[in-house]
Amino acid sequence: MAGISFKNVEKTYENGVTVIKDLNLDINDKEFVVLVGPSGCGKSTTLRMIAGLESVTAGELYIGDRLINAVPPKDRDIAMVFQNYALYPHMSVYKNMAFALTLLKEKKDVIDEKVHEAAKILGLEEYLDRKPKALSGGQRQRVALGRAMVRNPSVFLLDEPLSNLDAKLRTEMRSQISKLHQRLGTTFVYVTHDQVEAMTMGDRICVMNAGVIQQFDTPQVLYDQPKNLFVAGFIGSPQMNFIDAVVEKEGDGYALKFDQTTISVNRSELADYVGKTVVVGVRPEDLHMEKEYFKGGNTIKTLVDLDEMMGSETLLYLAYEDAKIIAKVPSPCPVHTGDEVELAINTDRIHVFDKETEEAIFN
Amino acid sequence: MEVKTSKVRTVIAYIVLLILTFLCLFFFYILIINSTRSHAQIQQGFSAIPGKSFFINLKHVLHDANIPVLSGIKNSLIVSTGAAILATYFSAMTAYGLYAYSFKFRKAAFIFIMLILVMPTQVSALGFMRLMDNMHLLNTLWPLILPSVAAPAVFYFMYSYMQSSLPMELVEAARIDGCSEFRTFNRIVLPIMKPAIAVQAIFTFVMAWNNYFIPALIISENKKKTLPILIAALRSADFLKFDMGKVYMLITIAIVPIIIVYILLSRFIVAGVALGGVKE
Repeated sequence: MAGISFKNVEKTYENGVTVIKDLNLDINDKEFVVLVGPSGCGKSTTLRMIAGLESVTAGELYIGDRLINAVPPKDRDIAMVFQNYALYPHMSVYKNMAFALTLLKEKKDVIDEKVHEAAKILGLEEYLDRKPKALSGGQRQRVALGRAMVRNPSVFLLDEPLSNLDAKLRTEMRSQISKLHQRLGTTFVYVTHDQVEAMTMGDRICVMNAGVIQQFDTPQVLYDQPKNLFVAGFIGSPQMNFIDAVVEKEGDGYALKFDQTTISVNRSELADYVGKTVVVGVRPEDLHMEKEYFKGGNTIKTLVDLDEMMGSETLLYLAYEDAKIIAKVPSPCPVHTGDEVELAINTDRIHVFDKETEEAIFN
Repeated sequence: MEVKTSKVRTVIAYIVLLILTFLCLFFFYILIINSTRSHAQIQQGFSAIPGKSFFINLKHVLHDANIPVLSGIKNSLIVSTGAAILATYFSAMTAYGLYAYSFKFRKAAFIFIMLILVMPTQVSALGFMRLMDNMHLLNTLWPLILPSVAAPAVFYFMYSYMQSSLPMELVEAARIDGCSEFRTFNRIVLPIMKPAIAVQAIFTFVMAWNNYFIPALIISENKKKTLPILIAALRSADFLKFDMGKVYMLITIAIVPIIIVYILLSRFIVAGVALGGVKE
């Protein structure tokens, strides 16, 4: 049983920079958790603290029930896959994978069996005698995974393992890692800055920014109910459109007004915001050209700056006031660069944020 | 036209290189030729043709009771090999310590080592000799071997090499794999440092082999003398016994191991000289 708990964990480097502030995070046993966020948000530091490669300045860090603040990496029962693979260049693939077991003084035939089993799963059997230099990026990454697998650790840590691979290989390895997780049934903690990786792989995603957890939930909840502007903007590709709007009272309900557009909403959360400006978030796929979405007033009319045919759908980049708006519409798209287009906002799926606190008012 | 200029340039380059090669090898040639000539022949002046006294000179050198050549070779080999091993191993370890660990006085330690680098040997020689005397280590080979443990120049080379070729992730991976710190150094870091170690081992070996100053201070017993002291002793022999043929023969014997080392490892030397400076 190896869940991971951070209790009020803080990390301050020697130069006085605090990268993690009061981190509280509970990762369940056998869960696949993705830590995601922009560069410098503290996600790698968090992972390295679990690994024991960074010390914990304050707070408590548990693996299972064991407090591991002062436990050295080798005694934490973890395995880690690094971004640049970190394979020992002077050892063959076999020796790389067997190294940890050799240190544990396992019997030779046990090591042999485990290495071959991992190599079989990862399709590395024919490369066991090669040195890492003679392998491609994808193969090296698989060796790094294999090296972690043979130890049968209770926690698997992966630090941006796919970012050195090309796009096609990345997609392939993504599913391989997901399958590996299902097969091994251990806790996985995966760090990435790529939200696509996060969304596709994680049971739960922890979105971080500036050393603080913004939201920790399942991919679907993150997508549908982002807690704040940061999460809303970070999750989803292309990212959510943000438009400033003024809240007005309209009959029993309220209206969000910007430019010529009026969105009627019947949400009591807006009561305190009458007369104030809020931020309306609309996902690109919630802008529609189809007439059934036109409810009078909920449309924006503007010129198409650029159209990008992506295959089954087309991205329309719109020049609208100060905001840059992107709409995702089905292909073939009847409008092109320079044309005028009218798009309706799906008012059931809008997100509204407080402009000052950036917290969600409702989703 | 262009082909012509490039041809001319090639010819000039070859001529310059030939001259340089000649300048480099000429002295070796003279040395070897003179080792085959008798004292009288050498005194007559330069000759490009070998003489017939090679074996006579060799016999004289080997049978001179005052010049124990064989024990000299043995001593030189022990000192040079020992110094090369100690200097490379401990310098790599020191460099690793400063490279891989962050501790309070890391920068100060680095600067301190660099300061030792600019300190001439002569400054500390007298103190060193007295220390060795107090430790009763005069006339032993230890004072010639042990100080190699602290070799700032080798340290600096190792440190630069680590910066360019030893990613910290490897060390971290080893730690997670269950390696102790010492083992990480021996099993992961040292093999990666192999090219740098090879280069520095050669340099240290040659330097220790050629070293005259410190051995001359420390060693006075004939049996413990290294080759450079023996050569010097032979050269300063009294006028009646002075034999240039013998001197040239001994120098020839002394450079043979170095030549062998260079021929065998020249590939490493050329590649390695540029190593430390390269940073990705």
